[in-house]
Amino acid sequence: MEIELLALYDVSRIYGKEATQVHALTDVSLSITKGEFVSIVGPSGCGKSTLLNIMGALDQPTRGAVHFDGNSLSEMSNGELTDLRLQQFGFVFQAFNLLPVLTAAENVQFILQLLGIARNERQSRTREVLEALGLADVADRPATELSGGQQQRVAIARALVGEPALLFADEPSANLDSTATRELCELLRQINTDRVITVVTATHDPLVMGYTNRSIHLEDGRVVEDKTNP
Amino acid sequence: MKQTVSSRVSLIYALSVRNLWRQRRRNTILLVSVICAITGVVVLNSLIRGMQLQMVDQVVYNLNGHITLHAADYRSDRAITRGFLEDSDEFARKLESLNLAGWATRIKIPAVVMSERETRGVQVVGLDPAQEDISVVADLPIEGSFLVNSADTRIVLGRALLTQLQTKVGHRIVVVMQDINSKSIEVGFQIAGIYDSDSEGMEKHVIFAGKGALQNFLDSESITELSIRFNTRLIPPNGLESISQSFPNLEAVDWKNIDPIIAFMYESINAMVYVWLAIVFTALVFGLMNTFITAVLERTQEIGLCKSMGMKSSLVLYQVVTESLIIMLLGLVGGLILSWGVLQLLGDGIDLSAFAAGVEMLNLAPKIRPAVVWQDINIVIVATVSLALVASLYPAIRAVRLDPLVALRD
Repeated sequence: MEIELLALYDVSRIYGKEATQVHALTDVSLSITKGEFVSIVGPSGCGKSTLLNIMGALDQPTRGAVHFDGNSLSEMSNGELTDLRLQQFGFVFQAFNLLPVLTAAENVQFILQLLGIARNERQSRTREVLEALGLADVADRPATELSGGQQQRVAIARALVGEPALLFADEPSANLDSTATRELCELLRQINTDRVITVVTATHDPLVMGYTNRSIHLEDGRVVEDKTNP
Repeated sequence: MKQTVSSRVSLIYALSVRNLWRQRRRNTILLVSVICAITGVVVLNSLIRGMQLQMVDQVVYNLNGHITLHAADYRSDRAITRGFLEDSDEFARKLESLNLAGWATRIKIPAVVMSERETRGVQVVGLDPAQEDISVVADLPIEGSFLVNSADTRIVLGRALLTQLQTKVGHRIVVVMQDINSKSIEVGFQIAGIYDSDSEGMEKHVIFAGKGALQNFLDSESITELSIRFNTRLIPPNGLESISQSFPNLEAVDWKNIDPIIAFMYESINAMVYVWLAIVFTALVFGLMNTFITAVLERTQEIGLCKSMGMKSSLVLYQVVTESLIIMLLGLVGGLILSWGVLQLLGDGIDLSAFAAGVEMLNLAPKIRPAVVWQDINIVIVATVSLALVASLYPAIRAVRLDPLVALRD
């Protein structure tokens, strides 16, 4: 049985006022079910990141509604949205993913500290995730001393360690070469299948799209195609 | 719940310390400026307090005491007719419960003193030398000899008066006073000795006679004052009220009423200390605020990242405030340690004898010794913590108001 996690109803997002208005999204309706690995694809400026931000409760739609687990995000306070992002969502951004003053392990632990997890459990969960992602040997290195690929993997480790229901990745391969991109995609697919974490990624990279099992094509802020990948 | 708080506190502390360390050059300069400001405030306040308390000491020490008891109408007509009877046993009984350095009974009346060549107006102080360990009398350098006891019929003059009268130790002078019947009497005294004082005014205008001897000459058993000195530098709370209640028939006058000019200066200095503190800390608040606004602007993306991942606004606020508190508390500790060192160096005091005339006018001792008033230190501590909060609040609110999306895009 498919469990609907996230649903968007006629979502529009308009930036600016009157003459300078930009319609980033127009009447987008879709739903994401538990366990899916979804890519949001389309050319630059088509609204991929805007859609991802609205799904991830980082932005509010100008019109329409977003429901997570049956609850409307528009009815939640800022504090409740912050809690939702912390407890249910994981984020991997295109760039600037890690806090430069912390080590790789501390960046991963960051989420667990916000969640108020006890020190011993924090350390064991961090170690487990870093080992699973092949980052054990760089755990104590400052974030600034990691390569781009390692930084993205640490960001994924941080997104995973809180055991979120949904993982959002915005152009995760933008700063990676093709080898690192493949490794990253393998990792995301493994997370999706082994841990049953729903993954939604915005990308214009066909390589990334090829790893996902559903693609939502956007053009000029509208969904033009929503297909299951073979 | 406790676990959640401790976990978040350790996160905030770690982030704050690392962020401060990241900008260590800038923050070291800020820290040094805080240390200098706190040292400046504490050292200067201690010097000012030293001057202030020395003024009070001089008033109290110079034959006044902290509190002086007179007959009700004595201050309007300082004559022996306005005296009151001495009852040492009763005085001792009434004063025994107070924390006193001691008390002394005296006669203070105006007189004219004449030598073979000159005449001067003076104040005759009749005293019992045995009681005067609470006043300047015990420490006056004497040439010749001082009075032996209360019944001593000789007299002691200041060196400046002796010069004016053009006389010598061992010679006789005549003192004209009013006795208990308001009749002028002329009494011849032999000069037992001369004293030197930091105050030329005292040397010129105060002469000492035996209290018992003076009572005999004035045909009276009265005294004109009971002078009381506490064991503390200032009158303890309720000290004046307590003494007033014990001596309902006498007028109790504290040192502020005895010397209103010094009292005004004392209060002015109190205000000056706080104004000085306010000026320094106000200047510091802008420097701090500017630094923390810069720190927040530099970390816009990081703050956006933290907020997007679920860091609550309150934690963002605590982070900025914690950074400010760490700097200010380090500055406070450093400033207090440095102040202690500077005050140790100034322990012997600052010699102002080159400005003798001005020093005497201000009723100061020739050496200014710093005095640490713990209330001032407490105010500096409270002001430092408050300053840390005030200076970081605006930058912290700016950080809280950052839209995570906009911040991430910056």
